[in-house]
Amino acid sequence: MKVRTRSAMAVLAIGALALTSACAQGNQGAPAAPSGSAGASAPAVEPYKAPTITVGTAEDSKGPAIEPEGVVKGGTVTMIDRDDFSHLDPGQLYVNTETNFSLLIARTLTGYKRTDKSEYKLVGDLATDTGTPSDGGKTWTFTLKDGVKWEDGTPITSEDVKWSMERTFASFITQGPTYIQQWLTDVDHKKAYQGPYDGKRLDSIETPDDKTIVYKFKTPHADANYAFAMGGYGIVPKAKDTKEKYDKAPVSSGPYIIKNHVVDKSIDLERNPNWDAATDPIRGAYPDKWRLEFGQEPLQITDRLMADTGPDQTAFTFYATVPPERLQQVLGDPALAPRLMKSPSPYGNYYYFNLDRMKDQKVRQAINYAWPSKQIQQTMGGPAAAALPTTILNENTTVGYQPYDLFGKTTKPEGDIEKAKALLAESGNPTPTIVYAYNQTPVQEQITVVIKSALEKAGIKVVAKPLDRKTYYDSIGLVKNEFDLYWGGWGADWPSGSTVMPVIFGPIADGAPNYSHLKDEALTKKMNEIIAMTDIDAQNAAWMALDKEIQETITPAVIAENRIANTLHGSKIGGAEIDPQSWVVQPNRIFVKQ
Amino acid sequence: MTIPAPVASTSVEPLAAKTPETVGRSPGQLMWLRFRRDPTGIVSAGVVIFFFLVAMLAPVISWLYGRDPYILYGQDTPGLLNDFGYPVLPNGGMSSDFWFGIEPGLGRDVFMQLVYGIRTSLLIAMAATLLISMIGIVMGIVAGYIGGKTDYFIGRLIDIVLSFPSTLFIIAFMPVVENLFVDPSEETPVWLRAVTLVTLLTAFGWAGIARLLRGQVLSMREREFVEAAKVTGASPARIIFKELLPNLWTPILIQSTLLLPAMVTAEAALSFLGVGMIEPIPDWGRMFLRGTEVYQNDITYLIFPGAALLIFVIAFNLLGDSVRDAFDPKLKR
Repeated sequence: MKVRTRSAMAVLAIGALALTSACAQGNQGAPAAPSGSAGASAPAVEPYKAPTITVGTAEDSKGPAIEPEGVVKGGTVTMIDRDDFSHLDPGQLYVNTETNFSLLIARTLTGYKRTDKSEYKLVGDLATDTGTPSDGGKTWTFTLKDGVKWEDGTPITSEDVKWSMERTFASFITQGPTYIQQWLTDVDHKKAYQGPYDGKRLDSIETPDDKTIVYKFKTPHADANYAFAMGGYGIVPKAKDTKEKYDKAPVSSGPYIIKNHVVDKSIDLERNPNWDAATDPIRGAYPDKWRLEFGQEPLQITDRLMADTGPDQTAFTFYATVPPERLQQVLGDPALAPRLMKSPSPYGNYYYFNLDRMKDQKVRQAINYAWPSKQIQQTMGGPAAAALPTTILNENTTVGYQPYDLFGKTTKPEGDIEKAKALLAESGNPTPTIVYAYNQTPVQEQITVVIKSALEKAGIKVVAKPLDRKTYYDSIGLVKNEFDLYWGGWGADWPSGSTVMPVIFGPIADGAPNYSHLKDEALTKKMNEIIAMTDIDAQNAAWMALDKEIQETITPAVIAENRIANTLHGSKIGGAEIDPQSWVVQPNRIFVKQ
Repeated sequence: MTIPAPVASTSVEPLAAKTPETVGRSPGQLMWLRFRRDPTGIVSAGVVIFFFLVAMLAPVISWLYGRDPYILYGQDTPGLLNDFGYPVLPNGGMSSDFWFGIEPGLGRDVFMQLVYGIRTSLLIAMAATLLISMIGIVMGIVAGYIGGKTDYFIGRLIDIVLSFPSTLFIIAFMPVVENLFVDPSEETPVWLRAVTLVTLLTAFGWAGIARLLRGQVLSMREREFVEAAKVTGASPARIIFKELLPNLWTPILIQSTLLLPAMVTAEAALSFLGVGMIEPIPDWGRMFLRGTEVYQNDITYLIFPGAALLIFVIAFNLLGDSVRDAFDPKLKR
């Protein structure tokens, strides 16, 4: 799953000149000793509790969802965010904010039911349970619930579910997950099958009756039920499939219907009368109406939520976290504490080296040593806004996490220029020039200044290339791109190491998440061996060992800072919580306090 | 009153010395005399010259002051900025080491940022003003003097330029320029940004001055002294340069002195909107952008560039007023 890049551009009026009192308070709390450790002023982030996810039973899969304490039904809730969703067609969803929104209008075969804080159960959403595997995990059978309907009242059939999977093979579907498609056909799944629109159907999905659907994979996949929970496998009605146009006007199977959508500005939702809470164990759907507003920067959104007046009292945001400029104020104000949600990112973030262009490992290691991690952290808002990991796998989400520190980041987080210079002297080119591509947002622009300043101290010339934020991933996703170093984030698609390393070091293609273009037969073989392991603990340990080995022998990336979301919500919003898996505020439990 | 015809003898000298007030003066000298008597004009001229000196001597100031605009002091020296990136000391981190304080986040020296930022902005604004004046003068005089179809077409061109949404166009056009001229493996050169900014500001700025001058030329074209020149067989070039242009210097000078501060603010506004100069080149306008982001915790960072721009624009506008008054005392209120 891709994580959207953040920015904090402010376009505020310069009304502040009126406040020309030439006496401004100091900002207390600098680190007392230059030890490089975190200073005293940033409150320590409470230890992250990784979500526990278990597989639920058929009983768990029955609706309605568990109600949050003090829940009230009705009212209008407002969601404010920076960008409109670029896709609404379930087949095209892979970005966390988009799949989060799709919870409101589209259903999947399985899904995650919240049973307690940081405790989730995988349950059947449209299916009566999480599916029955047979044939050693090669065949998966699901039975649809009774009473599940489209927004027009027609029942959801197994034919619709089959159609939804088949259409993701069509050429107009360019985004979205591809796991199940590959399991059903081949690694190059779009070559194996081109979609149902020319009348050809996919034999590996069977629908013996209207309620039963059988998937037949080529290889065993014991965790397939998790894959079906991805928003990208949401369903589309066969009778109302408008192909490309479906992206603009999807038909709802969830609790709400899109009443009005002004692109890049707003979406209005109203209740879907044909959605039955009794069939849905996941979605609470407490508010009567939703209003989603787009086009505001996180700074403005934070200011609105801090002010908490009028309709903003019932507002929250999926993804706009408090920007560095407001962190001191927000974290320092006890009145805001009850409305503040904190969660470290479950994503791994990397500054990938383009291995096609950066061929000298010594240079890559030198950059790792010289990397100004501490300075970048400060620019992002300090330890309260970002942690400094040293491993490829995310410490918060990895079971059996083992820390290691290859480049002295714990002792010298500000970068070891001497060591970098020594390594560069050993390499073929002591004064290399690298092209660093970045997402052109105000925060990233500042971080680029920091990176440039640090690397130039070590004698590395940095050519900075700003990239347009809308097409950032498209630009760095080209295999033949002309950059040496660029940021990218990746998170597990479901709780398994198999959805991280085999993906970010997997197949190389335009748009594929192997941004470092790492191609190593021995490594691929090793990863396949680990995937095939049946002992989960041994598998986790093997991933962790491989993590260190890759950084040691190949160094395909600089491990980037791991951001910590600090997100506010309005005072009349109840049930708001950052989802520990997708790192966005979840809509399922939101309600409006009276 | 006429001066007595000088007699070709040395004995007249004392006479001439006694009547200095009656010596013929060029309009320029007259203007200078009147200008010197205007205290507002003198003070604002002093302020404007001070700003230009600061801009020109930026490297010298940096050398004397001992700070560099590109070094991230706050990040290299622990204890200057707190965990959130704000200056620890009151008043935005003002101290004897950092006179105007430290920039929040990146930790650069605010004084140096401002001095170099003024230099960037003034250079761009000066270049744009010069070009605008030149194009405006040529187009205005050509339209006014030749008249007919030429006047019609230039007039419509002016209409189009004046009605164009220039800011929106520049915001949309900047990325296009970068894609067209910059190789993907190269950084966008600073000069390209500067040249594009100057070109675009010029392209949308010349119409006002051209229209004004066209009107002036139209009213002067039919006057006796131009008629006389025509009758004596003067070439159009002579008429334009010797007869018309000397009478146009007043509006041209006034327009230019008002144009320069407008260009400085326009450049600042574009940088504020994110299409001006980019990091790490110090820029006045971008300091506002940053200032509006951080002012709730660090108002000082907004005050210095704000006050500097306020003083500069007011001084330059007053200077423009004084120059106009000095050229044309009849207009004095």
